[in-house]
Amino acid sequence: MEPIARALQNNSAFRSMCKPFANTWVKLSGYRRLGLRYDDLLREETPIMQEAIGRLNRKETDGRVYRQKRAFQLSLSHQELPYTQWTKPEDDYKYLQPLVEEVTAEFAERDAFNSMAVTRK
Amino acid sequence: MLPSKLFAKVAAPVAGRGYASVAKTAVVSTSNGIKVAATAGEIDADSQLASISLVINAGSRYETAENAGAAHYLKAFGFRNTQSRTSFRTIREAELNGAMLTAEATRENITYRVQCFKDAVPYFVEVLGDIATATKFAEHEFRDVAKLVALESLSARTNPVTRALDGVHQAAFRGGLGNSLYALESSPVSTGNTVRQYALEALSSGRVAVVGTGIDANELAKLVSESKLSTLASGSAVTGAATKFSGGVQQIYDSAAPLSHYALAFSCEPQNAQLLGNLLGTQRRLKWNSGASALARLAASEGFGADAFSFAYSDAGLVGVLVTAPSTQIKDAVEKVAATIQKDVAGAATEAIQRAVAATKLDVAEELATQRGAQRVLSQIALGQNAITAETTEEAASKLTSAAAKVFKTKPVAASVGLSQSTPYVDTLGF
Repeated sequence: MEPIARALQNNSAFRSMCKPFANTWVKLSGYRRLGLRYDDLLREETPIMQEAIGRLNRKETDGRVYRQKRAFQLSLSHQELPYTQWTKPEDDYKYLQPLVEEVTAEFAERDAFNSMAVTRK
Repeated sequence: MLPSKLFAKVAAPVAGRGYASVAKTAVVSTSNGIKVAATAGEIDADSQLASISLVINAGSRYETAENAGAAHYLKAFGFRNTQSRTSFRTIREAELNGAMLTAEATRENITYRVQCFKDAVPYFVEVLGDIATATKFAEHEFRDVAKLVALESLSARTNPVTRALDGVHQAAFRGGLGNSLYALESSPVSTGNTVRQYALEALSSGRVAVVGTGIDANELAKLVSESKLSTLASGSAVTGAATKFSGGVQQIYDSAAPLSHYALAFSCEPQNAQLLGNLLGTQRRLKWNSGASALARLAASEGFGADAFSFAYSDAGLVGVLVTAPSTQIKDAVEKVAATIQKDVAGAATEAIQRAVAATKLDVAEELATQRGAQRVLSQIALGQNAITAETTEEAASKLTSAAAKVFKTKPVAASVGLSQSTPYVDTLGF
């Protein structure tokens, strides 16, 4: 399944077909109305995510913490941000997903080395 | 393109057989100008072991005020994550190959060395090419490296001997060679990017050399041309400002330890440094014996410690004594050492000269018999940091006599670690 999914994701024709639906979906999901980015919503209670979050630089870490606190407070008080403060599309970039991929590859590499069978020449 | 050959016309002071064979090594130049020097093992022909080192002319002497300490960080960034392999993979594969990876920094060069079996050399040349051209210097890695650097700096700072010798360089040379080997507390390096910039300045073919033992020079040059090292920009070696020695300067570090240390150093030609150090002759050559030289006998009879040191760089040399004594006796000890140097070492007898020459011959031969020593000598030859000429024992003896008479009459510099109230001052020592 994974290779098929990746192939579809990278196919530019498929992407341009999905673009209008993607933008509508993002608007409807509403995370931008709470001032969040997509990468703030990734489930962080895994070792890989914790390591990736640990590798963020200071600016990104501070921004992430602030956005999550603000969104939590808004959720408690059943409010949303005013229109001018919604997350802008250019700010909703993948600041964490590349790190997650890097860390996943590193963990996989470690597992591979730990379980390899070494044969002497 | 075929590599061009130049034969290095260099030999040791007191050319012994071991050094002569190393000196006959061809220094080969690759197509983009990287010097490759290797000895195929006349000394260790039957050994299964080889070593290859990547030597970068980016030691602490090239640091500026904006990146003070970058050389120490660059050393600590050896064998870390690159674009194509993680540090974890490099180390695991080295372990599986049975190799040792080392990173060293001196005031002139940073060396990344691999000691491995002969059949693993092509793989490790590729690894060295990778770390030279594609190290990521990632920010999250920088945090780990900074911790290591802080630990090494702290242990250097709290070791009085290291501190005194570092201080003696600063007193003698100020900037350049006087820069500390370690990243000081005040080092402004705080991001991986600073270290990357520092490395990029130095990674041009004129400032990089590949040195090998247990492999033929032409074979190694071919492997280097096939690796990523051949993509390094062509550049010439750096000829910075000439090093200036300032005599009569003293660096004083206060310390409450019961023992005080005092390093007294004279400026000399780099090719004479080792000879003069052995003339001061404090090293014990026989066990249970205090040493035959005047300084050694003085130290043994008076009950303080005196250790000679010598440093040879490409354009300057330092030779001197490190005196260790309880803080109440340091002034007396240093004054006696200074008097002995002026009396017995500056005008040394023939027997002392002969002893010094013989000791140097042995030291050079012993060093060359090790992989590490051969690598050090070859890297100096390859980077053109070695300007010494061949000579016989008689020539060495006469050269040493005249050098000793000259050097130990000049104004020395000093660095003291101990009670600053009872520190002897270098301009009161009679030089």
